[in-house]
Amino acid sequence: MKKVVVAAGLAAAVAVLATAAWGSTRGASKVASATNADTALVKCGKTRTIGLLAPATGPAASIGINQVHWANFFKNTYNRTHKTKKIKIILEDTMLGSANGTAEAVKGAQALGSNASVLGVVGPAGSNEVKATTGALKGAGLGFVSGSATNASIATDGTRTGYFFRTVPTDDDQSKSVAKYMVGTLKVKRVYIIDDQEAYSTGLADSVQTLLTAQGVTVGRDGVSQQQSDFTAIINKIPRNTQLVYLPWQLPPKGQAFGQQMKSLGRAGTKLMGSDGLFDPAFSGLGNNVYDSFFPVNPQDARVAAFKKIHHGTELFGAPSYVAAQVVSGAIDRACKNGTASRAEVRAQIKKTNIPVTVSLLGLPVKFAKTGNLVQHPFGIYHSVKGVFVRVA
Amino acid sequence: MNWSLFFGELVSGLTLGSIYALIALGYTMVYGILKLLNFAHGDVYMVGAFIGFFVLQWLGGPLKPVVTGWLAVAIMFAVAMIGCGALGVGIERFAYRPLRNAPRIAPLISALGVSIFLQNSALLLWGPQFRNYDSFDLVGVKSYHIGSNFFISNIQILTISVSIALTIALTLVVSRTRTGKAMRATSFDRDAAEMMGISIDRVISFTFFLGSALAAAGGIMFGLVFGQIFSLMGFTAGLKGFTAAVVGGIGSIPGAVLGGFLIGLTEAFATGYLPGGSVYANLYVFALLIAMFLIRPSGLLGSPVIQKV
Repeated sequence: MKKVVVAAGLAAAVAVLATAAWGSTRGASKVASATNADTALVKCGKTRTIGLLAPATGPAASIGINQVHWANFFKNTYNRTHKTKKIKIILEDTMLGSANGTAEAVKGAQALGSNASVLGVVGPAGSNEVKATTGALKGAGLGFVSGSATNASIATDGTRTGYFFRTVPTDDDQSKSVAKYMVGTLKVKRVYIIDDQEAYSTGLADSVQTLLTAQGVTVGRDGVSQQQSDFTAIINKIPRNTQLVYLPWQLPPKGQAFGQQMKSLGRAGTKLMGSDGLFDPAFSGLGNNVYDSFFPVNPQDARVAAFKKIHHGTELFGAPSYVAAQVVSGAIDRACKNGTASRAEVRAQIKKTNIPVTVSLLGLPVKFAKTGNLVQHPFGIYHSVKGVFVRVA
Repeated sequence: MNWSLFFGELVSGLTLGSIYALIALGYTMVYGILKLLNFAHGDVYMVGAFIGFFVLQWLGGPLKPVVTGWLAVAIMFAVAMIGCGALGVGIERFAYRPLRNAPRIAPLISALGVSIFLQNSALLLWGPQFRNYDSFDLVGVKSYHIGSNFFISNIQILTISVSIALTIALTLVVSRTRTGKAMRATSFDRDAAEMMGISIDRVISFTFFLGSALAAAGGIMFGLVFGQIFSLMGFTAGLKGFTAAVVGGIGSIPGAVLGGFLIGLTEAFATGYLPGGSVYANLYVFALLIAMFLIRPSGLLGSPVIQKV
């Protein structure tokens, strides 16, 4: 019996040691593979691969598919104008706003990271998705350029410096423009803010609330869940003398439902203002009382007209994703000058991006600060006229 | 006291409660007859909302329907209710009937399986994006003033009245018809009913048809009132419907309706009056369920089960 106990004890000890050894080897190989992914040289060849993380399906599909269209529009233009080199885009669907949270985005980022031919990434779309995918993208050494993530802290908290860049201004810029327009132009005195409990939304709502309160505006505040469809109970809570309801939300169908329910409860006269996440025909179609804040885009640019001709729409939400694809492809081209490129080299080249105003779709130069933010970062205010957003400030 | 807010939340609660009541009726009827918690019921409600949506598209869409808006709504109700009724009968025939004599856990697991099957099929067929009923364009939503500060929309009036009308119709079917009598007999003692010549299979199929048709009506009402439908809308609504059935007393038709209105009102008044209510309304709803279990386990109108020992 004693022998059996000793043998069992030895077997257990061996098992523990073996497990520990296997774990440590696995950890080492993980580090090694991350380092390798960062510096491994890829033969550039004729076709260079860019990853795209966007919500092609899910509740935010209407804006996500627009980003996909704009990124592909860049790819097609590039491939048509470059005979010796081509771009290939690999799309990973992040399903922003779906019940799975950010799990799909993380899966997509992991898939791109493990694909050796991917040298840089456009996206992801949401600030929460940026936070969630940072580990996977950073671990794989991939630089990622978002065309819509606006949360201010994701660039300043130091977690992804050197990896994360964006072609849109931040929520700080957005909130300043929004508050200025509400007070200066619309001259509202009573505003009600409803966030959707996501980091993007609460951050923007807090910021606008602080700015409005400082200027003597009476601000009411409430929140809804992104999964909610019945807004009638919260609409009843909004004081009747409220002049404007601000919705810093990400999902245009929710904004549309809110607006429709406002109307059905006799609140058609109250102005609605959305944020960049609601810059969509679903929201602008609610009527002339609707306003929105959106990224800087030059609507006079010939590429906007060309895009509209192909996609028969006026949606500009994805235009910064076109610029993001332009940034990543430019960086790959420069890194590939000697025929090979590593992900680290591409990141270094993204940092050095300098697209002059004359060729920038944004109507301003595309140049990044150390944080990954644009050096110049104004935000536009739009007003819905006959169901279409028109820039007013 | 802000009476405008009170009245607004009352109407919101009754509207939402009407939808929950219709879902709860299906739960309670099936439980009454089969002692089965049909967890796929919420997904039948979702399918009903989608059938209504596609019928609307088939009729030319909300902007240019080939018939008048209200007639389009009536057709949507009719097709979705028949379609979902048939779906309910199919679910019972293939997922529950083979397990009728199995241990009670087996049909419960089967119900969960059907629920997941329906959810994923909807995701596969129709995608996860939101679809809009565009009730404004379809029927021209109007809001009516009562006094100076009380508002109610025509769609809210429609929802509450259709729900009440359907409940009355169901009560009449159950209490005044031969089939209803057979349903009551089956619910009371299935074996004895069978010995009296009642076709149990037919009664159960009819019960599933009725319950599923009511859920479809609830799905269309949701689309009309709140504007949007989506593939996963059945899960939470199903849970709320189930909660309503339990709160009212599972197995009791008036109890299900009462439970539905109570849940709807709790949600609306929690949003209007309680701190963080708009975000945590579900917390208050399910707290009510727990409280009900503690205070009156058989529900408001349920009768306690007496076991002979």
